[in-house]
Amino acid sequence: MTNGMVLAIIGAALAALLAGIGSAKGVGLVGEAASGVVSVDPSKFSKVLILELLPGTQGLYGLLTAILLLSRIGIIGGSPVSLTTEQGIAFLVASLPIAIVGLISGMVQGKTAAAGVGITAKKPDHNGKAIIMAAMVETYAILALLISILMIYNIAV
Amino acid sequence: MAKLTMKKIELAAPLTDSKKIIELLQRRGVVELCSNSEEGLEKTSVSAVTGEFERFRNTASQALDALERYAPEKPGLSDLLGGRIEIEKHDFGKEAMQLEKILNVAAEINRCDKTAADAQAEAAQLEVTCDTLRAWLPLDIPMNFRGTAATTAFIGTLPVQYSEEQLTELLPEGASAEVISGSKEQTNLFIICAKEVAAETEEVLRKNSFVSIAGTDKRTPAEAVEDYAKQRKELLEKAKAAGETIESLAEKRKELRFAVDYLTMRKDKYDALNALGFTGSTFILTGYIPEKYTESIRKEIESRYTAAITFTDPGEDEDVPVLLENSRFSSPVEGITKMYAMPSRADVDPTPVMSFFYYLLFGMMLSDAGYGLVMVIGTVIALKKFKLEESMRKTLTMFRNCGISTVFWGTLFGSWFGDIVQVVGREFFGKEGGSLALWFEPIADPIKLLLFSFGIGILHLFLGVAVAFKMSWDKGKKLDAILDAVPIYLFITGVAPLGASILSEVPAPLMKIGTYMTVAGVVLLLLTAGRTSKSIPGKLFGGLYALYNTATGWLSDILSYSRLLALGLATGSIAGVVNLIGTMPENKIVKLVLLIVVFIVGHTANLAINLLGAYVHTDRLQFVELFSKFYTGGGREFEPLTVNTQYIKFKEENIND
Repeated sequence: MTNGMVLAIIGAALAALLAGIGSAKGVGLVGEAASGVVSVDPSKFSKVLILELLPGTQGLYGLLTAILLLSRIGIIGGSPVSLTTEQGIAFLVASLPIAIVGLISGMVQGKTAAAGVGITAKKPDHNGKAIIMAAMVETYAILALLISILMIYNIAV
Repeated sequence: MAKLTMKKIELAAPLTDSKKIIELLQRRGVVELCSNSEEGLEKTSVSAVTGEFERFRNTASQALDALERYAPEKPGLSDLLGGRIEIEKHDFGKEAMQLEKILNVAAEINRCDKTAADAQAEAAQLEVTCDTLRAWLPLDIPMNFRGTAATTAFIGTLPVQYSEEQLTELLPEGASAEVISGSKEQTNLFIICAKEVAAETEEVLRKNSFVSIAGTDKRTPAEAVEDYAKQRKELLEKAKAAGETIESLAEKRKELRFAVDYLTMRKDKYDALNALGFTGSTFILTGYIPEKYTESIRKEIESRYTAAITFTDPGEDEDVPVLLENSRFSSPVEGITKMYAMPSRADVDPTPVMSFFYYLLFGMMLSDAGYGLVMVIGTVIALKKFKLEESMRKTLTMFRNCGISTVFWGTLFGSWFGDIVQVVGREFFGKEGGSLALWFEPIADPIKLLLFSFGIGILHLFLGVAVAFKMSWDKGKKLDAILDAVPIYLFITGVAPLGASILSEVPAPLMKIGTYMTVAGVVLLLLTAGRTSKSIPGKLFGGLYALYNTATGWLSDILSYSRLLALGLATGSIAGVVNLIGTMPENKIVKLVLLIVVFIVGHTANLAINLLGAYVHTDRLQFVELFSKFYTGGGREFEPLTVNTQYIKFKEENIND
């Protein structure tokens, strides 16, 4: 295995790792707030569950990026290509947008959604607005995902 | 379709018919009453009556709670799905006659419940007392023993542990101590001393924080413990008997539920009377009613009672409630609209706009034909088999339709429980199966699916713009309608091939057309978007600002549809991993057993996670991306006076008699 291959795999690992950590933190934060609401009114479970899941997508994007990267370099679904060190660094860098933005936006989205749980608790009819506010944060994770995917697909191997 | 037209109803009738008319309206459930504040009308106070109903209902529901604790009902799947028991109208009358009897049963249950609770609390108290006394069991004299003619006795406790030697040292001459029992925290003592040194002994003991247990109890500790144990047993038996009485009344559960519902209905009816206005011998009722029910209600009331009914259009500034009605295809998605917000007066109902795309986007995100089949089969069985509430029926129908769409996309992408067909073929029959995809496998060409997702997104958003166009057009702002929609259509359609060329090959003529359309769109936007501004620089900046907003806003909106690809790939890759784990062992029989277990557990979990993901993200695409183009919401849902029952439901045909 070449150095380039190792670097590319580190990139895939980072994407899954950091974005996953961001989502785990975010979902956890909302879960705590949501449990408080459910303890008072269990019927709000399905509404707060949606809010809790919102910060979960960053982890999914990280996973997706990792899988796409691994399939591009032939670790899954083919035979491994031989990468130069420069190509390896390029793949590593390509995974960084979703890794870092996923990490941070996951946590921040968690905070927003946790605040949104308050809306659901006090004005359950306006639950949709809480969802939208939290979903806004996710836009930037999606942009990062897009850039990561574009880079991964356009690095010449 | 869409929002039902609301009429204002005004009904005047003799006072004597008021209850009957209210009852009729309640059973029909099509009129929302509003409080009548017109001058010159009297109000009636019904709080005494409603308070009474409330009290009775609490008795009955408390009794139900107690029944639930002592004789819990085993919940079946149909209970979970929330069907109510249907009841015939003549049965209703019969049961209502027995209300007093049912309430007596409820009172009896509540009394037994209280007896049992009290007895149990008392028994627990005795248990604590016994525990304390057990430390004194070796003491074989009565606890109120104070000494003989020549001696004084102290029975009590010293904190911390003492041995008898230590105590002999501590106490004055002529006093002797016996340690009954002791632990690190305390020593239980019996001390006897000559009368002469009694004061001195007491002084020493007091300094060491002696606590006397001497009371008036003539029994020895052992006798007391025995007595208490007997009492405790009696109390527990009493509690058990009370519990058994409650259990024996469990068969009255149905009647009690009926009583709760019946009393709720009665209370609602009297609350409705509160909203009426009265004159000496007539009453006036005002409210909202959907236009399509107006004639049937008028006919029904006028044929039975003397009443004057008028229907008018509600005024401009009135807070008119909203009721949605849609085709069979769209109505299952009404719940999603309600979750966002009911349409306000100015809005159209977004349900028919989004229903087709709802199913489409959901299917693309889940995109596994196997999972889709599970959804369809599950929901169809539930819909057929159980008596369901209307809202639950709609939700299940929505998921059934989403399931059909999932099967469609799964078939196109060749995903059946991931790659289970190929895996089984390879591992057990040694045959390499090709792709099952009717179109292509997303993992093989993600960029193609990404572009396709953006295309779907653009169509979805264009639909939103088209609705906004129609709304402006209908309001008579025809120029605004055109100038808001056309530049965006030109701009986005033109930019699309240019953007796609970053990711993939685009034919040159398309690029050329795209460039022209983009330029045309940009120019139109710059020239017209600032038209509301009065000054020339204002118009110019307005145009620039609109261009910037359109570019960034639409870019992020369209990119948001990349989740169609992302979630679809996630479902497929996790399903593939599940199948991979199941086929790891070498031995074919072990492999088969493992595969079956892993298949069931793994795919159930994957389906659950991705079902939730697809649901949330389809909602998001509708709420954030689509609704921002034309929908504000903020209406109030129609809440008619109706039979608001928890457990029973009247059969439809009896309502229409």
